[in-house]
Amino acid sequence: MALERIADRVVETDVLVMGGGVGGCPAAAKAAERGLNVTLIEKAKTDRSGHSGVGMDHVMDFPREGVTVLDYVKYWQGRHHLLCGEGRVVNANIGYRLGASAWWALEEMEKLGLQMKWDDGEYHWVRHGWFGAKIMLGVHWLDVKPTLAAVVRKRGVNVLERTMVVDLLTNKGKVVGATAVNTRTGEFIVIKAKAVIIATGGFARCYEPETPQFYKYKMRYHGAPGAISGDGYAAGYRAGAELVNMDIGTCWNYRMRDDITLDFGVIDHGDGIRGKWLTWKGEEIPFPTVKIYEEVERRGLDPIYCSVEHFPEDYQKRAEITIADERLISLKIGEDRGFDPRTHRYELMINKPINFAAIPGLYADETFKASLKGLYVIGDACSGLGGCGSAIMSGLLTADNMPNFVSEAGEPVVDEAQVESQKQTALAPLSVKDGTEPMELECAIRYICERYVGIFISEGKLREGLRRLGSLRRVFLPKLMAKNPHYLMRCLEVRNIMDLAELHIQACLERKESRGNYIRVDYPERDPSRDSMLTFQRMEDVKAVLEIKEVPDLKPEYAKEGK
Amino acid sequence: MLDPMSDKHYESRFTFPLLKLIKERAIQKDISYHDATLEVMPEYIKTIRYGDIEFEDALIKKYEEETREAEKRWQKMLQSSGKGG
Repeated sequence: MALERIADRVVETDVLVMGGGVGGCPAAAKAAERGLNVTLIEKAKTDRSGHSGVGMDHVMDFPREGVTVLDYVKYWQGRHHLLCGEGRVVNANIGYRLGASAWWALEEMEKLGLQMKWDDGEYHWVRHGWFGAKIMLGVHWLDVKPTLAAVVRKRGVNVLERTMVVDLLTNKGKVVGATAVNTRTGEFIVIKAKAVIIATGGFARCYEPETPQFYKYKMRYHGAPGAISGDGYAAGYRAGAELVNMDIGTCWNYRMRDDITLDFGVIDHGDGIRGKWLTWKGEEIPFPTVKIYEEVERRGLDPIYCSVEHFPEDYQKRAEITIADERLISLKIGEDRGFDPRTHRYELMINKPINFAAIPGLYADETFKASLKGLYVIGDACSGLGGCGSAIMSGLLTADNMPNFVSEAGEPVVDEAQVESQKQTALAPLSVKDGTEPMELECAIRYICERYVGIFISEGKLREGLRRLGSLRRVFLPKLMAKNPHYLMRCLEVRNIMDLAELHIQACLERKESRGNYIRVDYPERDPSRDSMLTFQRMEDVKAVLEIKEVPDLKPEYAKEGK
Repeated sequence: MLDPMSDKHYESRFTFPLLKLIKERAIQKDISYHDATLEVMPEYIKTIRYGDIEFEDALIKKYEEETREAEKRWQKMLQSSGKGG
């Protein structure tokens, strides 16, 4: 009964899904279908929130046309190699699990009511940029999120919208739920759960967005909504789960200026033809890795542009379709700015960390189990997963096994003192007057990451950045003020952003080498002893712990099966 | 190609052909752009040569050749000691 005295509401559930995006919704729906009591927390509105809120144009890669599951695993490893250099940077077994489960997931998505076939009633296979084979499934998913939100409700999931998780609750090294605040009413909620699935996407907001500052929270990071403040990364870390790769692999190399969006899929795959990369003088250059960009800048050839003017009309139309499917409003933005991809070029704002996803994230095994008991992690929140397709698949796979996890979990026992402490943290900004606006602090953190980390990293800058960040934490974090419950969410976000920015700098300080897109100016050579040796960070007894550990290779049984 | 550094690059007027159709349908039926898109898309797709593998292969081949040439030019430029491009 004491919990009821501390909290405005106590919710008891088998499974808590944190994040109602394109990964969280299928996870919640599937777990409910498996007969579990499921609660889903979403800080926005599930109908249109998250990475896919405005739509999707393709989903997943499939083992077909001679491409095997092992080829797919190698592709992921090779792709990461481009970004991060020699060795493994993610758990290869996760890639295997996705490839091996693709056809199962296709059926599951159809069960969710998602339209998997093209207008002619057939599957629409699109060429993959790496393989050249038609292994990507093209879809018209303008309404993927309303569809998923509807099925979540239909299956009886308890959906808490406009609700922000404060922190996870733990007891004896096990996750037993979470605390949260309603960002409209300020209601403080305790959720007791046998298992928690983190599905909050990646993290981006410690660097500048691609849209101008004055849009404030409506800014958009490349391919990601402005909402990704790393809530799951930070909550998992503070609870004791391991975060990995907060130093390397933090971007997809480029981003586009002014929010004139040609979606990533078009440029990277383009149904077989990719965009071209040009200097401001119009000379074509290879795909701009950090090293190529450095050379371009040194020779005075910056800014660089992406062009699809070589697309014939038929391919321009294909691009239009994918834009309409993935972000319809982009056609209108293009029109408002007089932007014609047939004759205009996209300026690329390159080439710094912009989005912590795919390679960084909470560490998990191939069952998406995090390093903390009772905690699971899917989608971009999980290291080794990137993009909407893998978010859906990992959500479905995790939820499918959830009855087994839950049956072994036992009843969650919540520590009331922990709840009390989290309540104080969450609600304190409501009592602060003449304090700091959360966006002021967020901008200061971004400035530090831009100025003291960025592309060309060195120890002196990192140390100064860390010192400044520490100063911000001491002076301004306690002064965060929230004029209403909505701003409580912003305060909690900036707390997460600060924690993750600090982890980012600490991880960079520890990696004394250069590899792939990670450039330590003071250590220009690759350190072979760091091949496949990743930076793991976790919190233990309120202390930050950093360890360098090897990431596992593909299990022999998978290597055999996948051939 | 418009010079990307000139204002004209941003001042020209343009409407994506698909958006033009969407707008027309939205006005004609007094429906939202979203609903008009759902109607127009299947018609627009019929004008695209999906499935014409020969056509696609030829384009890809041309693209790959151009990309290889660009890579060669880049390597040549790296070998040169001159400043600027």
